[in-house]
Amino acid sequence: FSSSLTMARRYDSSTTTFSPEGRLHQVEYAIEAINNAGTCVGILGNDGIVMASERRITSGLLAPAKTSEKTYKLCPHAACNVAGLTADANILIDQARLRAGRYHYQYQEPIPVEQLVEHVCNYKQSYTQYGGLRPFGVAFLFAGYDENHGFQLYQSDPSGNYSGWKATVIGANNQAGKSLLKSEYGSSSSSEMTDEEETSPDVAGALRLAVKVLNKTMDGTAAAAEKMELFTMKLDESGDVVHHILTQKEAQAVIDEVEAETASAGDS
Amino acid sequence: MSILEYNGAAMIAMAGKDCVGIAADRRLGIQAQTVSTDFTKVFKMNDNIHVGLGGLATDVQTLHNVLKFRMGLYELREEREMTPQVFSHLLSTLLYEKRFGPYFVEPIVAGLDDKNKPFLSSMDLIGAPVQTKDFVVSGTCTGNLYGMCETLYKPDLEADALFETLAQALLASVDRDALSGWGGVVHIITKDGVTTRELKGRQD
Repeated sequence: FSSSLTMARRYDSSTTTFSPEGRLHQVEYAIEAINNAGTCVGILGNDGIVMASERRITSGLLAPAKTSEKTYKLCPHAACNVAGLTADANILIDQARLRAGRYHYQYQEPIPVEQLVEHVCNYKQSYTQYGGLRPFGVAFLFAGYDENHGFQLYQSDPSGNYSGWKATVIGANNQAGKSLLKSEYGSSSSSEMTDEEETSPDVAGALRLAVKVLNKTMDGTAAAAEKMELFTMKLDESGDVVHHILTQKEAQAVIDEVEAETASAGDS
Repeated sequence: MSILEYNGAAMIAMAGKDCVGIAADRRLGIQAQTVSTDFTKVFKMNDNIHVGLGGLATDVQTLHNVLKFRMGLYELREEREMTPQVFSHLLSTLLYEKRFGPYFVEPIVAGLDDKNKPFLSSMDLIGAPVQTKDFVVSGTCTGNLYGMCETLYKPDLEADALFETLAQALLASVDRDALSGWGGVVHIITKDGVTTRELKGRQD
């Protein structure tokens, strides 16, 4: 009865079954769904985190209901970027918000970032092992700050796997983005040190690098402020975490800086 | 002995001209024994909402944490701050959910609505709300508090006059109540911010 040519097909309709090669095909298909979604870049700076995402404006008639369809605040000290099925993401984001709130209620302390990430990931994992329901077609970039580990950046995928990163990309063309980060993260333009508290060249450098990555992954379409969403997370003077989505003007300024950089680099 | 009188409290909130004030005593007791003279019963929930929680101290603190949790969720989902009316309703439903095993707290809510107009409400321990234009009271000496407020209150007081009125009404009321007093705190809320002052009262 079994056909060895279409072996995969026998094992891919149920999430709860391994294939003979030891793979979970449904999970892999979910991951594929994300590779068609709008790109998100996350970069850990010395004094903060940058998350930049591609805004896919599907129709000019769309009325924007919320501040963002890519960046979501989870609690005062953590936020995430979404790549994949927004409807699936909404469920998980609510889960994360509840978990963070309940942790704070129980311990009167902010939830450690990794614990928050792990909770969301455990929830995702359960849809790969029981219930017979399909996995969530969402990958996240989590940005957060806690007292013990400072600023952290995590990436998670439909399998429920997560890992901490200094810089990473998810979504469309993420391989191109990652290779650019490999060569440019940690080079001079993104790690200048100053004593100033107000402006932080490292987050600024990270912003420029993030725009560069988006330029590469969005190749073919011109870099414009309304096609990108730039988000930063920093500490203010009193040590509180500040979430900031850059205005069009601020975003345009970064894009212009990057353009100037690449233009002058081309000259030499 | 009523469980609502176990720890002791006295609270007033009053409306003024484009401002509200909320005041409470500082005593925490275990029946007759005074245990703390800096116990907080009025909590700032956001720039526009203060809530006074009077009653059993453990429920005061727990309810405050529950309200913080719920407000946090609201702000994350709605991407805006809660208004006092919404907060008051949330508090009312929270309390009624525990209808047959209630929180022993009788709260008062004071704030400025989205048009910067004063908002006052109070409710019983199972959430029956009352909204007023002048003042609301709660605690172990509500008889005294009502009497003082009815006597001293005038509508449309400016912030400084409102402070004086609140302070005098509170101080005079708690002096005839063994379970409340030991100092006081008054918050005056205007659209420009909150001014908080501690009251010097009889320490008995």
